[in-house]
Amino acid sequence: MMNVKICLIGKGIVGSSLLQLLNEKKQLFKQKFNLKITVNSIFESDGALIKDKGIDLKEILDVSDDFRNLPYWRRDVKAIDLISELDIDICIETTPTNPKTGEPGLSHIIEALNNHIDVISSNKGPFYLEYKKIKNLAEQNNCFVKYEATVASCVPSLSIKEDLIGNEILSIKAILNGTSNFILSRMTAEGVDFPLALKEAQELGYAESDPTLDIDGYDAAGKLVILANELLGWSKNIKDVKVEGISKITPHAIELVKPDGFVIKPLAIAENNELSVEPRLIDKNSPLNISGNLNVVELETKYAGPIILMGRGAGGFEAASAIINDLIDITRKKGYSP
Amino acid sequence: MINLEVKIPDTPGSLIELIRPISKYGGNIYGILHFHDRKLKNMIPVNISFELSEEIQEVSLQNIKKELKEKNIQIENISYGIEKKLITIILTGHVFDTDVMDTIKRLASKNINVLELQAKFTKLEEVSNVKLRIEFPEEMDKKELTNELRKICEEKKLFLITS
Ligand SMILES: NC(=O)c1ccc[n+]([C@@H]2O[C@H](COP(=O)([O-])OP(=O)(O)OC[C@H]3O[C@@H](n4cnc5c(N)ncnc54)[C@H](OP(=O)(O)O)[C@@H]3O)[C@@H](O)[C@H]2O)c1
Repeated sequence: MMNVKICLIGKGIVGSSLLQLLNEKKQLFKQKFNLKITVNSIFESDGALIKDKGIDLKEILDVSDDFRNLPYWRRDVKAIDLISELDIDICIETTPTNPKTGEPGLSHIIEALNNHIDVISSNKGPFYLEYKKIKNLAEQNNCFVKYEATVASCVPSLSIKEDLIGNEILSIKAILNGTSNFILSRMTAEGVDFPLALKEAQELGYAESDPTLDIDGYDAAGKLVILANELLGWSKNIKDVKVEGISKITPHAIELVKPDGFVIKPLAIAENNELSVEPRLIDKNSPLNISGNLNVVELETKYAGPIILMGRGAGGFEAASAIINDLIDITRKKGYSP
Repeated sequence: MINLEVKIPDTPGSLIELIRPISKYGGNIYGILHFHDRKLKNMIPVNISFELSEEIQEVSLQNIKKELKEKNIQIENISYGIEKKLITIILTGHVFDTDVMDTIKRLASKNINVLELQAKFTKLEEVSNVKLRIEFPEEMDKKELTNELRKICEEKKLFLITS
């Protein structure tokens, strides 16, 4: 049985959900994939849990937020300083991102790859800013770098590439930001104006207290860059995306196009070598007309027309399950797992 | 759009003979023009325009031609008319204050024609929402069209939503 040693950076919603799934799936890993997953380090912004022989995940889950009282908690140590020293096979990056710099995730990923450690990330910033650099570095160092959770969470929008290997993806239309989609759905269904729909989204926990990145289209733009680079083989970054948010949309605009069978949706589009995120009029019978806070990805393919993926684009367990998929994929490609 | 120029005898029922094969092979007839003033040897020139959906166009047109020939209806000319494309857009902002006639005329100068305009107002000083149905030439692609629209919208600070 192969023992795979993991370092987790960021024990927030996604990181904690991942620890729970890793604990739950212990038997499955063993029986089906011939794997023992050992988490030997968990970094937070103010320190880390480090245990060379492996952290007891059940213990971590039991103590919940009190993990800093555990004897192997080391205050003030930083992931960036210890990645090279620890014995790690795969580094899992789940910190929040600075949208301008991609930090701290970008440095973590680069440091891991420089030390020949495979990387899995749910953190998209580093990829929409420095996609090429990361991919090149991974290739140079013979490492895997996977990031399924960065786009539409558990919806397999990136890994589908392998399943369409005999086809060719020509263009992409998608809804990649659940918050904007929720807001426009409410405005369409109830005729409420933008500020009210936003407030509703915040109260339901679908929007952050600072929702700027969601409603101005920047979040979707980042995901679109990753999607297009991965599926269409482009090398763009977020500065290449023409971005228009949804805050100027009024209930009147929505009402005006209703009789023509149109709805307004926050679309992310990759076609003709261009990327854009903007509200568009779409046919109300289009498969892209999904409501609520769902995500949808429509791939226009050469030999099979449109192929559509839809599902929940956010959530701790959703993202964590995508990370597990990436993990299994890496171990299979390395020949550890059947 | 397909335009057929034919000559048919000036006898009752001959027009039906012309129309029948076109309908039979899926043609959607838009218009028929008779040129009685150009009647010659009891034959009247007729122009008939119709549309065939792209998938069936080639086969249907062959069948139509064959059947007309069998009926002794001579085809003088076939032309494929310029088709216009349609799009619906929404403008939000001070659409009227920024001289909507100027907007329409500037688009028309690029062969982009506004066919229909519908507006919703709140208060006079607030933004209005205007829906335009626009016709643009077949040879213009959607990107060119949106570039033209965008130029005007940027200048007049209008928010544009296209399909
Ligand atoms: N939540 C989702 O639904 C979802 C879905 C897909 C992808 N993602 C992405 O996944 C990442 C994590 O999301 P999340 O919802 O789990 O965020 P979160 O709840 O805010 O958790 C992030 C964690 O990272 C820690 N952290 C910050 N800087 C660090 C550093 N330098 N070293 C180590 N740990 C550090 C934070 O600690 P402090 O709180 O102490 O700063 C926090 O515990 C984000 O990039 C997000 O965009 C999230």
